[in-house]
Amino acid sequence: MKTMRQQFADTMLAIGQEDPKLSVLIGDISHFILQPFARACPGRFYNIGICEPTIISMAAGMAKTGLYPVVHTIAPFILERSFEQIKLDFCYQGLSGNIITVGSAFDYANLGCTHHCYDDFALMKSLPRTQVVYPASCSEFDLLFRETYRNDQVTLFRLPEHQHEVPIDPSLIKLGHAIRLAQGTDLTIIAAGPQLKNAMLARQQLEAQGKSVEIIYVPTIHPLDAPAIHQSVAKTKRVLVIEEHNVFGGVGDDVTRIVRDISYVKIINLGIKGFIRDYGTYEQLCVKAGLSLEGILAAVRQDFF
Amino acid sequence: MIGTMNNELRRKIVDMVCRGRDGHIPSAFSILDIIAILYGDFLRFKSHDPLWDGRDYFILSKGHGCLALYVVLREHGFLTDHDIEHFCKEGGILGEHPDSTKVPGVEACTGSLGHGLPFAVGIALGLRIQNKDNRVCVLVGDGECHEGTIWEAAHVANNLELGNLCLFVDWNGSAAQLMPKDDVPAKWRAFGWDVQVINGHSETEIKKALQVVQFSARGTPHVIIAKTVKGKGVAMLEGHGLWHHRIPNEQEYQTIMEALK
Repeated sequence: MKTMRQQFADTMLAIGQEDPKLSVLIGDISHFILQPFARACPGRFYNIGICEPTIISMAAGMAKTGLYPVVHTIAPFILERSFEQIKLDFCYQGLSGNIITVGSAFDYANLGCTHHCYDDFALMKSLPRTQVVYPASCSEFDLLFRETYRNDQVTLFRLPEHQHEVPIDPSLIKLGHAIRLAQGTDLTIIAAGPQLKNAMLARQQLEAQGKSVEIIYVPTIHPLDAPAIHQSVAKTKRVLVIEEHNVFGGVGDDVTRIVRDISYVKIINLGIKGFIRDYGTYEQLCVKAGLSLEGILAAVRQDFF
Repeated sequence: MIGTMNNELRRKIVDMVCRGRDGHIPSAFSILDIIAILYGDFLRFKSHDPLWDGRDYFILSKGHGCLALYVVLREHGFLTDHDIEHFCKEGGILGEHPDSTKVPGVEACTGSLGHGLPFAVGIALGLRIQNKDNRVCVLVGDGECHEGTIWEAAHVANNLELGNLCLFVDWNGSAAQLMPKDDVPAKWRAFGWDVQVINGHSETEIKKALQVVQFSARGTPHVIIAKTVKGKGVAMLEGHGLWHHRIPNEQEYQTIMEALK
């Protein structure tokens, strides 16, 4: 299976050959897979090194001259360390650009908390004129990047290490649109990123127990598709959100606000609470954090059925 | 040394601070002569078309010195008297740090130190990518050079060979108050920049330094380290301390204006 990072490189190459304004700055990752772009688009690829705040400021300066900048490196360094540069040099100045991260949440499982980033949604959402896109399949990234990279927003594309492996009709993949992948009447599961896989597995088991489960997948985190979510939860009255993000400021918080006017609604937010200090595989850390099939089923048993 | 025109601009700055009840007079006086010469003799611009594609860029990285920029922009027709009179007033476009989304001729929202130079590096690179020969000038404070991003950007600009970039360092001694072991020219030379050290209040030296700079799409980035005096022009205001962010009272106002005659 093609990795998300390879798809990023392929998309840059394809668009870069069509659009002379697309320029890529990286912080010393993905250097080799971006060489085809570098060769095809001379003068528009720079490995700036380990100075993330400066990379963001530079990208904003490039946007000032009319280019469409793409910044790519590891999530905590380009978002948390460089937050003020995103806030001031892009957002305050009214400039636009694209930030494409890997290593969000705990994808770099064994590297410890210095290389984790669970608050990227919250940080970006707090700023005006921003978008957060969380594609967990290659086609989602390609389609959503093409749709948005030239618009007037600052867009974060969070590329996960793992994909959800659920087939999705490409015609449904549009910025700001949630995708209903299964219909149900007893419970809505809203899944972000690769956790869609666990959501679909949980649905199978719950359906076998006689529960009717609706699945809403949200490749766009911000703006979140409030009408689709509200419509679903108004019907089911129960909603479980699963995301690899801090419970503070994540999709769960937004869903809570979206459904607040629905009577007798019950909400479960499965996300990350504090640091994940363990080592092991990504899958093992998911289990530790309760972001797993078992985690979903246990939460549903405890709070819903 | 300081000409009559700049004394008049200094008086305007003092009036703005007294009217707006806010502002950094000494920081503006420190850089005024440089900015006045940049706009008077060097930068290419069209004040009636601030976003003219052929313009040179000037980024005031030490945003708290913006009063100097505002009065120069007024002199060249970017701003109106109404704008100047509404400094720090509700509904006005001029605040204590410049906002590029509001102020014609201002290229960057600065105020948080350490942003302007890396932003200017991006502009210089973006222009080169598009084969444009616009020149990029940026001014930082010496205190601002405590920020790590200044040195990240210095390192990047040298390695990317941004010969279309010219930096002024307002070397008024703010940094040395806190960290006195500070050989400013040596640091910039160590980072590979083309270094000139001048008197930042000498019209002759500022103009000569700008003539020496060879702007090119690819080359060594240039830094003009300007020895300046914070509060230059009024003995009472010169130096560091009390006057950094102070509004003159009536008696002090008279003393300042007398000194600037």
